[in-house]
Amino acid sequence: MTKELLVKMHTHPLLMGLVCLGASGLMPAQAEEKAASAEGVKFFETKIRPVLVEYCYQCHSAEEKIKGGLRLDTREGLRHGGDSGPVMEPGKPEESLLWTAITWQDGDYEMPPKQKLPESVIADFRKWIEMGAPDPREGEKVVIKTEIDIEEGRKFWAFQNPEKVNPPGVEAGDWPRSGVDHFVLAELEEAGLPPARDADADVLLRRLYLDLIGLPPTPGEFSSYGEAWRRDPVAAYRAKVDELLARPQFGERWGRHWLDVARYAESSGKEINMTYPHAWRYRDYVIDSFNRDKPYDQFVREQIAGDLLPIESDEEWQENLIATGFLALGPKGLNERNPRQFAIDLADEQIDVTTQAILGLTVSCARCHDHKSDPVPTADYYALSGIFQSTRTYFGTINLAVGRRGTKLLELPVADEAPLRSMSTREMNFMKERLAEAEERFEELQRQARENRRDGGNNNIQQQILRVRRTITGFRARLNAVDSKGIGKTLGMGVQDYPSPVEPVVLVRGELDKPAQKVPRGFLQVLAHEGSPESLPVDGSGRLELAQWLTSPENPLTARVMVNRIWQKLFGQGLVTSTSNFGATGQAPSHPALLDYLAVGFMEDGWSVKSMIRELVNTRAYQMSSEFREEAYLKDPENVLLWRFTPRRLDAEILRDAMLCASGEIDMDRPRGSMVATAGDTVVGQRLSPELINREVTYRSVYLPFVRDGMPEALALFDPADPNLVTGERESTNVPGQALYLLNNGFVLRRGEVMAERLIKEADKPRERLELAFNLAYGRKATTLELEQAREFLWDFTAAAVKKGDERREAGYQALGAFCQALLISAEFRYLN
Amino acid sequence: MISPQELFSRRAALRSISSGFGYLAFAALADQQARAENKPGPKVPGPLAPREPHFPARAKRVIFLSMRGAPSHVDTFDYKPQLSRDDGKAGASGRFRGARLLGSPWEFSQHGESGLWISELMPEVSAHADDLCLLNGMHTDLPNHPQAQVQMHTGNHQFVRPSLGAWTLYGLGSANANLPGFIALNAGNGTAQHFGSAFLPAIYQAARFGGAGGRRNVARRGRGNESGESVPNIRNRNLDTDLQRMQLDYVQKLNRAKLSQDVHQPDVEGVIESFELAFRMQDEVPELMDLSSESKETLGLYGIDGGETDRFGRQCLLARRFVEAGVRFVELTHGNWDHHRNLSEDLPARCNEIDKPIAGLLADLKRRDLLKDTLVVWAGEFGRTPHGQGGDGRDHNNKGYTTWMAGGGVKGGFRYGATDPHGYEAVEGKMHIHDWHATILHLLGLDHEKLTYRHAGRDFRLTDVHGVVAKEILA
Repeated sequence: MTKELLVKMHTHPLLMGLVCLGASGLMPAQAEEKAASAEGVKFFETKIRPVLVEYCYQCHSAEEKIKGGLRLDTREGLRHGGDSGPVMEPGKPEESLLWTAITWQDGDYEMPPKQKLPESVIADFRKWIEMGAPDPREGEKVVIKTEIDIEEGRKFWAFQNPEKVNPPGVEAGDWPRSGVDHFVLAELEEAGLPPARDADADVLLRRLYLDLIGLPPTPGEFSSYGEAWRRDPVAAYRAKVDELLARPQFGERWGRHWLDVARYAESSGKEINMTYPHAWRYRDYVIDSFNRDKPYDQFVREQIAGDLLPIESDEEWQENLIATGFLALGPKGLNERNPRQFAIDLADEQIDVTTQAILGLTVSCARCHDHKSDPVPTADYYALSGIFQSTRTYFGTINLAVGRRGTKLLELPVADEAPLRSMSTREMNFMKERLAEAEERFEELQRQARENRRDGGNNNIQQQILRVRRTITGFRARLNAVDSKGIGKTLGMGVQDYPSPVEPVVLVRGELDKPAQKVPRGFLQVLAHEGSPESLPVDGSGRLELAQWLTSPENPLTARVMVNRIWQKLFGQGLVTSTSNFGATGQAPSHPALLDYLAVGFMEDGWSVKSMIRELVNTRAYQMSSEFREEAYLKDPENVLLWRFTPRRLDAEILRDAMLCASGEIDMDRPRGSMVATAGDTVVGQRLSPELINREVTYRSVYLPFVRDGMPEALALFDPADPNLVTGERESTNVPGQALYLLNNGFVLRRGEVMAERLIKEADKPRERLELAFNLAYGRKATTLELEQAREFLWDFTAAAVKKGDERREAGYQALGAFCQALLISAEFRYLN
Repeated sequence: MISPQELFSRRAALRSISSGFGYLAFAALADQQARAENKPGPKVPGPLAPREPHFPARAKRVIFLSMRGAPSHVDTFDYKPQLSRDDGKAGASGRFRGARLLGSPWEFSQHGESGLWISELMPEVSAHADDLCLLNGMHTDLPNHPQAQVQMHTGNHQFVRPSLGAWTLYGLGSANANLPGFIALNAGNGTAQHFGSAFLPAIYQAARFGGAGGRRNVARRGRGNESGESVPNIRNRNLDTDLQRMQLDYVQKLNRAKLSQDVHQPDVEGVIESFELAFRMQDEVPELMDLSSESKETLGLYGIDGGETDRFGRQCLLARRFVEAGVRFVELTHGNWDHHRNLSEDLPARCNEIDKPIAGLLADLKRRDLLKDTLVVWAGEFGRTPHGQGGDGRDHNNKGYTTWMAGGGVKGGFRYGATDPHGYEAVEGKMHIHDWHATILHLLGLDHEKLTYRHAGRDFRLTDVHGVVAKEILA
């Protein structure tokens, strides 16, 4: 895993790719044209085609069979290659599998299999490949046509630009506090449903804290807010909103929402599940972006094309590069044998996350056929795919025996002040020696293996070779992560453009061995708007243009999708409930005019996420009580019309953080990197063991290791986002595994015990302790009945424990711990009203 | 969807015991309610409630014996006399053209009244030949272990999709309120997808249990779980059952107060119910996983004797105990079948480890009258090549291999499908993984085309757009 050294260039990042990135394996279009000269064609017709027909077509043509997915009867087939990847590197016989095969250099590919071609023919092939493999055959070109009528498709509501409508008039004119309230109330009045009363101050305060910063209010905040509220409720509330939006914990809460959508994780998942030790930089980037209220359009542009945006400083460049980690940290099948298959799967994953996250469209559905329900022809999919196929993704991972698709990482322009994973000179020397030994051993084993093969002996040795190779890869990975002085390099995941873009080929049913027509790179026709580029530049992938197109104010979806996501997090369900699917199979908006009102306002307000959140939490709709009303429930059980605030469960992260708050242990500092960064390049479950992943720490949950198929129990059990998918809405399940965890897990038991100690420390009288406990857990005053029941429980429990032989004092402590734990696992703690 | 009225009645039941009575009162009430509704035992709540199949089911539950690494079919359940005759000749099959064929070093003979041909590596299982339905015409898409394993479990090796067990639980619900409906025993690292629910509600994913409880925790090897705790968080380190019950009563008192306050809150009802299930699991699960109540004769039947069959024997016995207790889908894993080399030593060793345990399982299910509606499935992710590798091994082969089923409404003593004379490629009765899935669902009374779940705007199913039920194998 050597790193690509990026030369620092401030002026023109577009040039970077050209200057710094190595050979791409892609054939520049100009060279191809040259090859098709008259002389070349003649050579092909006389020397090459007859040989192909006689020796190759019987296994590699549409007429006969297509073995190994390779067709040699068309120019496209030959250029395209087969299951083992490309077979032809025009101009470079040594790098062409075709050449290796006909010269019988590799035991696995000896073609034609029965008899080697005459030497003179082989020489012709060499010459032909050196000429650039001219090939005039047109073949029977497959052209995939579409049935989709784009103009007709454009009539669907989501593809129409949002229009700002004035808020409707309402009967109860004194209820609304904002334009949004007018929209909500108008619908309620139409349905004959009155809105709920305003929520109580303490309920609302807890709601606001948990929604905005993901932490409950402290008893001190609770009481000082109570005082301010009594003086002027509206002013107190608004001041609190501003205060919370300004706290660094805001980004940790809202950044996490975006990380859900961005299917963020610190490992590759799927079959091999290698760690991404540098993914945390993207996590921190997202959190910081929300804290700085980075305009959402800029936030999107950075993630799609940060490497191509103009910059003014190294720091800015650094940030933009890290942002492109968005495209790099998806799930990957690292053991894919066919590099080309891997490349188109990678592009597919990038299309999937980009279109679902930003446009709320499932464009990946059009990979194998026209989209079944939305106006997205397959050709549009491949036009988009071309952009990503022209993009080189740097995601790291090490190539062990089974993981064969690892890439380099980006070496970032600004070195870490305190590098992670540095090595002492001694360690480094030790490792270098071991590496040298292993390499020597490897050579030796290979020599033996060759001899064995000649003697026909058994190949037990292969096993040893594998083992040694694994050792070598491990050492190299660790040495490559540091510079010559042993200081950890500053690496990141992200993307860069290939030197020249790919002209994408439509694949029949998405199958690699069934190429159809070429299409120009481009975007979705149905979303074409004023200012969409006619064609994409030939000196870049087109990602920059894609990023601009996505965030154009003329794009009808981007703003709508984002305001709907924000709405969903605050109100429990989106105006469009399918937050990542605005297509025909998604749900229509419950309040279409309101959605447009918000989307236009969002753009007019400079795409400010904080402003949008402020606007929404300052509505009266958000501040309603969650009180249940049977007649309203029977009319609108899903609370689509917002006749009350919908109660909901705390997210996994909040539940854990809130326990640490109640026990007084939460550590608000951001840890450096991540446990995954500390573990380095490894397979999840090995050096990054379940024990390490579940290690008890007290920092915020957003910083826990977030690996695919190996999350910490504290998160895994409570429906975190599945990072294999774009997650707009989290699930909320009730499974016994959660209850077992809450009843018995050491982490939870300890929080109860520490909270009990805190009660003893912070309050003297038994009654005060109980009051404090309820305050810490529920953010409200305990009722007399609750205090009574708590006392009764402590009394009975202590008595029972004493009866079992416990010492009285010890039994009292245990009872208090059990009581605290009971509060922390009870429904009121786990839900917000 | 459950009607609002139904929700109200459940809510009323939970709320009416809102204070002072504690769990006993709650349990009594729940029991009364259950009896009033004419259902035995505690009602299974919500999404795990038992559901009627699409048509009468032949199998009510599944035990899936998963053989990781791909066992050789031509040395076990696919008799290929021509391969033995051509031993040493150059083969002509596919990409391995030219490699030397390797006849099975093991004898095959006919067994039972049906006369099924089975190799000498499986003497005990052979005794159950008349219960076996050999599927000799299997094939799958890729000859790579991880993808093929994922495809075997979810139908799709490329995207994350719900597993067979999750679909089964989604389709049929659970039959025991005290236990999870889908249990995976001895699942290795990196197999989450095999047991996951993907976009199905998370409740349908497997509960993964380490293995048999107690000190002899042999059903799981390697790191972790040496403490004997085989289910995470199943025990409280501080409180005994009585004290924990007191604590839980208090928790439930708080929960019911909340429910009372909120009037209508299905989630809080769920919290109350899942606490009780968890509490019951603490009793039932360790007991279920404790094999000490089994007779010596039964332990012997499964080969639980401290020897090579002990480990898998325990898993098989656990599987029986789970399905007996009402678990819908149990999967066991046995590994190390990837015999590129050392076939002549390693294959007999692996077969020996599973032969007696599986025979014991079949015998035990039968004598308890469970085999008739319990589907036992034995499968690797693909098969192996008829030609040798390095003289004493076989390579991956996805074009033709064998799995088998027993019980649960399949024909016993039956052989369906065939590979070519050398055992390379399935040539008749071809059964792709999609067909295999469709058939398993069919046996469970589920129509694979109707068992759908709407996600991201379209209906998904286990078999995607494929799958043909092999009607020929239905009893």
